[in-house]
Amino acid sequence: MADDSQQKDHPQQESETRAERSASSEASAPRPARPTATPQAQAPAARPKRPAPPPDPRVERAKEIAEKLRGVISSVLGDDAVEETGAAHIVPMVRVRREKWREAVQLLRDHPDWRMNYLECMAGTDYPEHIEIVIYLQSTSLGHFLCLKTRTPRDPAEVPSLVPVHPGANWEEREIYDLLGVKFSGHPDLRRIMLWEGFEGHPLRKDYDAWASGVNRIWR
Amino acid sequence: MDERDVVRTEEMLLNVGPQHPSTHGVFRLIVKISGETILDAEPVIGYLHRGTEKLAENLQYTQIIPYTDRLDYLAAMLNNYALCHTVEQALGVEIPERAEYLRVIVMELQRIASHLLFIGAYLMDLGAMGPFLYAFQERERIVQMFNEICGARLTYNYMRIGGVRWDAPPGWLDQVREFIPYMRERLKMYDDLITGNEIFLNRVRGVGKYDTETALAYGLSGINLRCTGLEWDLRRKKPYSIYDRFDFEIPVGKNGDCFDRYYLHLLEMRESLKIVEQAIEQIPSGPVLGKVPKLIRVPAGEYYSGIEGARGEIGFYIVSDGKDKPYRLKIRKPSFVNLQLLPELLRGESMSNLLAILGAVDIVLGEVDA
Repeated sequence: MADDSQQKDHPQQESETRAERSASSEASAPRPARPTATPQAQAPAARPKRPAPPPDPRVERAKEIAEKLRGVISSVLGDDAVEETGAAHIVPMVRVRREKWREAVQLLRDHPDWRMNYLECMAGTDYPEHIEIVIYLQSTSLGHFLCLKTRTPRDPAEVPSLVPVHPGANWEEREIYDLLGVKFSGHPDLRRIMLWEGFEGHPLRKDYDAWASGVNRIWR
Repeated sequence: MDERDVVRTEEMLLNVGPQHPSTHGVFRLIVKISGETILDAEPVIGYLHRGTEKLAENLQYTQIIPYTDRLDYLAAMLNNYALCHTVEQALGVEIPERAEYLRVIVMELQRIASHLLFIGAYLMDLGAMGPFLYAFQERERIVQMFNEICGARLTYNYMRIGGVRWDAPPGWLDQVREFIPYMRERLKMYDDLITGNEIFLNRVRGVGKYDTETALAYGLSGINLRCTGLEWDLRRKKPYSIYDRFDFEIPVGKNGDCFDRYYLHLLEMRESLKIVEQAIEQIPSGPVLGKVPKLIRVPAGEYYSGIEGARGEIGFYIVSDGKDKPYRLKIRKPSFVNLQLLPELLRGESMSNLLAILGAVDIVLGEVDA
């Protein structure tokens, strides 16, 4: 699997290096066939440039399903609703435009072919240019397992709340609001949950500095 | 009938906790009551928040394992495994057979220990002191066995990415083998002692009921979900480790009340014993730690995998940028998610049912607060 994801990340590089190598071995045909005759000697140098492993069928299938999902979502919510499809490891991944976030999740919950009725995991990640909200959805009756994403600018960070669709998102969203500073519009009770009211900053942001803001103040 | 027509009462706010024997940690519940009826309840959590997710961003993957011990400290083996499993999925490493079996044995023993503690503590919440003392006897035997295999009684730090840290010491597997018939006898005793007790039944039958739809909408998992009748156990639905090799049942409830939640704990212990029994018979010899690089670098990407913990689905979501430390690590905490339904369940209930309902959710505050 490690090989597969490498392949996933740098597919072009890998194929290029392979092409180069085969080309060079042809060019060096007049010379004694050392590279192939002594693979042990060649091994240390060649190790980082392993030939690309065959694509992982699970990743390929996930990408196909994600493409299918793009069709389902854009046929109802418009062509611009889906920004990206792919695979999160081996799970089909669809990135939805922020404005259509709740509609897309609701559509998948109610769609007879998908019935994504169970919100398994919700997380937020801070990246240099944006904050990403990720949910993993499960269909308990049909067995689908999907990863849905949306992006918001870091400042102001705001995403439609999923509580009207999945009430279980309530505390997860409060946690993300608390630790990442993402505002969830339409949330019934958006307050800090882990930290206290009056705490400054959002610890899970990458630019958060524990020594600059409130935390150490209580020690002074 | 409005109660206030009969006896004039005033609404008042009552604090349950933060320090209360039945809150299983530091947990505060602000209850709005009118007379004996609960009008509203608001859980206040975060007293035990240690920022595990933030800390993990500055730790190598193996260094995070001891931190997972401190989440759900009653089921640390399962937390260990959940993290290792996610990283192993990402790396695609192969785990030696013996390690897989040892993992399954300790995980199922851990599930039994955790469920035992639930039964003891739950009965004590309801005012029965005896079962608590009994439950600790059996749990002590399991904890002693864990102590022998990894040198700790509560925070084990036993699993490693690619296997387990230590092989079982000589005679350890025999100890486990002897424990199984003993535990079966004890489970029968619990069944007689508790399940047949009329006072207990009246306290829990039909209390705190909800249906499958509600449970799914609120994202409940584990026994809190299965008590409604839905067979949803990740050991079956998304088989991980070597669970597909064992023959065991998934007990489900019917009514989704507190009694079902209690009784499923008892039934699940029986199934766990079955798994341990089969695992001990099948366990091969060999290495217990696979070939894993000293410095574990997870390939860039994002990974999520959940396992069936003692309290529900415990999962780890890892975002990696290819370094030896996670870029972001998010823990799917079953207690945290399960607790959300509590205010809904308490609304309109009598104050005397509060502890019966809260206890049956089976929370561990170390996990809720992370």
